Amino acid sequence: MTISFYETKLRNFLIFFFPLTFLTVALFVAHLSIGPAMLDPILVFQTLFGLSPNPEKAVANVVSLRLARALAALLSGATLALAGLLMQTITRNPLADPYIFGLSSTALTFVALGFIFAPSLMICKHYLITVAFLGALSGYMLTALLSKLGGGSDVSMVLAGIAVASLFSGLSHVLLYIVQSMIRSHYVYFLLGSTATVLQKEIPLMADSLLSITFISLLFIKPLNAYLYGDSYAKQLGFEPEFIRHLGAFIASFLTAVIVSYVGIVGFIGLVAPHIARFLVGSNHLFSMPTTILVGASIALSADIIVKLISMYVGTVAELPLGIVTSIIGAPFLAYLIIKRLRE
Amino acid sequence: MKLVVDGVELYHDSISVLRGVSFEASEGEVVAVIGPNGAGKTTLLRAITSIVKPLRGAIYIDGKLINSIPPRERGRLIALVEPNISRSIPSTVLEFLLTARYPHSKFYSFIPSRRDLEVIDAIVKKLNIMHLLNRRLDELSSGEFQRVLIARALIQEPRVLLLDEPTAFLDIRYKLGVLELVWSITKEQRIVGIIAIHDMYLASLYADKVILLSNGVIVAAGKPNDVFREELIEKIYGVKVQILNIGDRRVVIPIQLLNHGQSL
Repeated sequence: MTISFYETKLRNFLIFFFPLTFLTVALFVAHLSIGPAMLDPILVFQTLFGLSPNPEKAVANVVSLRLARALAALLSGATLALAGLLMQTITRNPLADPYIFGLSSTALTFVALGFIFAPSLMICKHYLITVAFLGALSGYMLTALLSKLGGGSDVSMVLAGIAVASLFSGLSHVLLYIVQSMIRSHYVYFLLGSTATVLQKEIPLMADSLLSITFISLLFIKPLNAYLYGDSYAKQLGFEPEFIRHLGAFIASFLTAVIVSYVGIVGFIGLVAPHIARFLVGSNHLFSMPTTILVGASIALSADIIVKLISMYVGTVAELPLGIVTSIIGAPFLAYLIIKRLRE
Repeated sequence: MKLVVDGVELYHDSISVLRGVSFEASEGEVVAVIGPNGAGKTTLLRAITSIVKPLRGAIYIDGKLINSIPPRERGRLIALVEPNISRSIPSTVLEFLLTARYPHSKFYSFIPSRRDLEVIDAIVKKLNIMHLLNRRLDELSSGEFQRVLIARALIQEPRVLLLDEPTAFLDIRYKLGVLELVWSITKEQRIVGIIAIHDMYLASLYADKVILLSNGVIVAAGKPNDVFREELIEKIYGVKVQILNIGDRRVVIPIQLLNHGQSL
């Protein structure tokens, strides 16, 4: 009986995993096809995977021009979703997210400070990411400290996060206003995230970070599963809850830092994706982690497609930031979760 | 298999919780730990599980200091049933029970083995929770959750099984059933069973040995009939009791508070 239950669970995961992979690829192709010059998705698909019997130079050119942005959307969604899942696990709080807990805002504040005090260093992306990582980590620690002072409940953690996020998004606005005079990008992109500014040569580092961190996280599936049920429970099974907590905070901060450095602040994907994944395949990280990554990638691609469409039809000067669309999708979800939680 | 607790002294935030606690338990022995609220029963169990570390004294399993045993090996030796399991991230009973097999599998084997699932299957049948496997932990009733917690510890297949109030929230049938199961597993698999329990009658039914803790000190230890003495229980609990003899068992019946009318 137990064996058949487990097999059902495994089958259930595969039933969702393959359609989700397909959905991600489909959205990726759609993202590449949509633009001022509309392309045939089938042609795009064939060009992308080298299946085309008689490749068209024009399609290939447009695809290669759009590839960086599509990959940036896919990777940022996947990365933020993984960061969100890890944060929800290590805080055992289903309301956790790098944006809600203030990690993104503190990372951005540190980046802005870096640009003001050491602009020559910030040109190198490795320094930029390191600075953003330190910022995200301080944001996490500050939120954890504040919520501990406030009693440590789920909701107190969210409130602490909102306080930290508001303070530092205000600060980063002011600082980036100053930075604006130094770098020529419109600072709103940096605040609310845009995939349009990502360059092709920046994609490998984003992809490498996500892949290596996913690999590391997969090694810690068992400790993470045990950790869900409490510190003393994890200790009983021979795992170190403190170590898992610190490792998780480090990884989530690093992932957030990478995305803030390349794309900017994109909120709520880290909140929504793990919920959808757990709803579909359960809380075992072996299943929920890959599912969360795919769901996150799909959400970011869809949101970026919406951004592209809006900018195409009503756009005037600049494009709509991606972060705005994810907030419109994510904030009502947060409201729903909080209401559900407070009623229990 | 032998558990030795030797002169354990333990503090929580510099408040003394256990003082000079020493006792031994051999394989196949069920030990009941009784005592008033705050006597240190839970802390004693948590110390044996090495979740909390004693300031002085030592705990040995088969002559080995428990702190020197590698954590994962310790996970195969000791299991503690405790009620404070976090349920804030929704997960199902089966997902929870599968984690109990982790000490028995390699760190990097992610799929449970056939034997893991068979062990779970057998225990789940014994505790009558098969129908709960796909339910969420936070949706269970207190009694159902209690049975899941006990199943979890048994699935870990420990050599020392520690239970903190295992009969809380259970009806009389499950109370007897759970203790009967713990008793028979202790005897059959030659393990050590230690139960912290308030119900002295249940303790007298299943315990080979009773330890009475009060304010972190062992005030009496021995066969149930030696510990359940009128004057001793009255002194420790501050309650007037009467001892009834049912069969060859002494049953403690609380009558009234000793300092009648005063505040608790």
